[in-house]
Amino acid sequence: MGPKLLSGLLSGLLAGAMCAGLAGSAGAQSPDVGWTSYTGDITGSRYKPLDQINAANFSKLEVAWRFKTDNIGNRPEYKLEGTPLEVGGVVYATAGSRRAVVALDAATGELLWVHGEKEGARGAAAPRQLSGRGPAYWSDGKEARILYVTPGYQLIALDAKTGQRVASFGNNGAVDLKADSDQAIKPDLTSGEIGWQSAPTVVGDKVLVGSSFREGFTPSTADNNKGTARAYDVHTGRKVWEFHTIPRKGEPGYETWLNGSAEHTGNTGVWTEITADPDAGLVYLPVESPTSDFYGGTRPGNNLYGNSLVAVDINTGKVKWFYQFIHHEIWDYDMSSAPLLMDITVGGKPIKAVVEPSKMGFLYVFDRITGKPVWPIPERKVPKGDVPGEWYAPTQPIPSKPAAYARTGVSESDLVDFTPDLHQKALALAKNYRIGPIYTPPVVSKAGGPLATLGLGPANGGTNWPGGSFNPQNHTVYTYACNSCLLAMGLVPPPAGMSDLPYVIGQAGQPVVMINAAGADQGADAPLAKRPPARGGGGGRLTVDGLPLIKPPYGTISAINLDTGTIQWQVAHGETPDYVRNHPALKGMALPRTGQTGFNIGTLLTKDLVIAGDADVTTTSDHPRGAMLRAYDQKTGKEVGSVLMPAGQSGSPMTYMIHGKQYIIVAVSGGNYSGEYICYTLPSE
Amino acid sequence: MRWIIAVVVALAALTGLTPAQTTSIWDGVYTDAQAARGELAFGAHCASCHGANLGGTGEAPALAGPQFLADFDGLSAGDLFDRIRTTMPQDNPGSLTRDQLADILAFLLKANGLPPGAKELDRRSEYLKAIGFSATKP
Repeated sequence: MGPKLLSGLLSGLLAGAMCAGLAGSAGAQSPDVGWTSYTGDITGSRYKPLDQINAANFSKLEVAWRFKTDNIGNRPEYKLEGTPLEVGGVVYATAGSRRAVVALDAATGELLWVHGEKEGARGAAAPRQLSGRGPAYWSDGKEARILYVTPGYQLIALDAKTGQRVASFGNNGAVDLKADSDQAIKPDLTSGEIGWQSAPTVVGDKVLVGSSFREGFTPSTADNNKGTARAYDVHTGRKVWEFHTIPRKGEPGYETWLNGSAEHTGNTGVWTEITADPDAGLVYLPVESPTSDFYGGTRPGNNLYGNSLVAVDINTGKVKWFYQFIHHEIWDYDMSSAPLLMDITVGGKPIKAVVEPSKMGFLYVFDRITGKPVWPIPERKVPKGDVPGEWYAPTQPIPSKPAAYARTGVSESDLVDFTPDLHQKALALAKNYRIGPIYTPPVVSKAGGPLATLGLGPANGGTNWPGGSFNPQNHTVYTYACNSCLLAMGLVPPPAGMSDLPYVIGQAGQPVVMINAAGADQGADAPLAKRPPARGGGGGRLTVDGLPLIKPPYGTISAINLDTGTIQWQVAHGETPDYVRNHPALKGMALPRTGQTGFNIGTLLTKDLVIAGDADVTTTSDHPRGAMLRAYDQKTGKEVGSVLMPAGQSGSPMTYMIHGKQYIIVAVSGGNYSGEYICYTLPSE
Repeated sequence: MRWIIAVVVALAALTGLTPAQTTSIWDGVYTDAQAARGELAFGAHCASCHGANLGGTGEAPALAGPQFLADFDGLSAGDLFDRIRTTMPQDNPGSLTRDQLADILAFLLKANGLPPGAKELDRRSEYLKAIGFSATKP
């Protein structure tokens, strides 16, 4: 697809749509409300105080329009994760295996323009392919631009009206984020491993971008490219600053990498969304773990700024404060969520806070100006491991408040217990593994046991990439958490030629399988005939008679008030899976809703509602095959309405108001259903 | 004629099949020989990601067990066939023949405990759409 495709033909239509939007806002009806950044704003809230769609009418929602993404790229995508933007009557979204940007009429869904980049071998080698999370929007009131990062790691600036590249930005509308880095990308710009799938954040006249890599389960080398976060001038595409997540010699924090290991360690990206407080002049960078995710023997020490929240000066990128959540991380917890910038009142004292949801199931709360924890986060002794060559941090910080909102470690009481027989089978299965509280380290996998350490939270659990949401009026965080995303953390030596690390993830007695990032080799630039590295067979799932080893609730939504630091309510989110509800061993049992085991669920907040869809489809006596988009009362957690979707929610919902009508868009995909944005609104009365 | 349609619709309602579906994956819609060919093809083209025991690895889901059956419950054998045909193997979609795909689908049915029959699965998705996919025996 050429970048100019459709642009010229349809720019006139777009201009018409924008005029209609302006005319709509001039009448007596409700004013237009847009969604101008990935999380609705640059504070991470996902909140708009709209209430045309409310508890009384949510179940009456009907489809306003659909946008199928199959043809945006040379193959359909089944993992559509985007959250669109809406500005002035136009919806902007990334879509398809090409990760093109589309502009759609916000009321009708009509395609206005589409822009994609063919990146050839560079796109095919990209660590994070497919449609990505979304674009960013900038305007000075006269000119408007759409900015996004391609799979091949280019920052592209487009004219929001036409979809054409902005020639004055970077090199004819593009900045090569590989070439314009302080580090020399290894081994070359085409195949060098670094990319990004998140949406940039625009703050004033700067656009902020991060970095990500392949999955760290089975990395080929410890000496990977290094993480980075950067600010670019939105007018010119000139780099304003670059933050090194792994300090260079002479920079503070370098000493936390013993034996000079900062030199040869990579990853430590900023793969999730970045937020900013322009009044405070601070940008908040959530930094992931260094190479590798489960073995850190090649990088002894605490490894700053791995697994830290780093507040940097918006103009210089210099560190103002930081907090390390995990010292010497070996669990793939990363920092998964956009930092939430909330103003709260604790003990009568107003606090400008930054709040970090996590895969660990803890909510970390700080004064966002000083970095001081709002409630103490004491260092606690954690279990030590015995993996040869590994370096273990003796303590980890554990928040004293709020209480954990998802399961953290694994104990026998977390195992399935629908019936005594199932629980006995679960105990017998668990005997093959090491279990324990949070931060129980991985083990070398042994055929006679332990096969692995079981963790709830590592890799997928707790709150993952969709992050949380908050209502700035009631100072409450609403966040989904996977409560049953179980991971077996066993280490084995890699087979010859796979990796220069002494250990990768695997299981004794089983062939070691190269585990790729989601979407690797699936993007539109990936050659159809490429063969992957030889792979072996696989291990079984952690199930008991086909039921999850971990008991329900499998996934939850929690409301956590940050004036008091207390969990106000928690509900199981998602219909009980068919294979659980219909399981022969559970026949006749009245099961409460179990929720579902998914990690792609983000929440949307309107004035009074929390809105989120089920991850998986179900078929019940109440509804045909499909997944429900649900609305909960923010005060009580009571479900007040739902709508049947054709597939599970795979990208977080957003909302906007134009021409006096409120709309909700959600991305769905999975199973047999390819990526689609569905736009809902109320029927015309 | 009208009463025949009414009976068909009523039967469909009783069996959980949609009107267009006249049979179910529980009715013996593949042969043992076809599933045996499918097992070989699965081993060559699918097992590297989905596991020789169909247990799944990494992001590749398990293809046997109650969760897999639930994922396609209420659809048709043709829907599963087309999902495989258009996207698999993930690194080289479109590389398998329709006969291979039908064989692999037969193997998946067998691995999930569905009974074999006397007739092979068709190689045309339009015809496979008439075979209802239900997680439990209708």
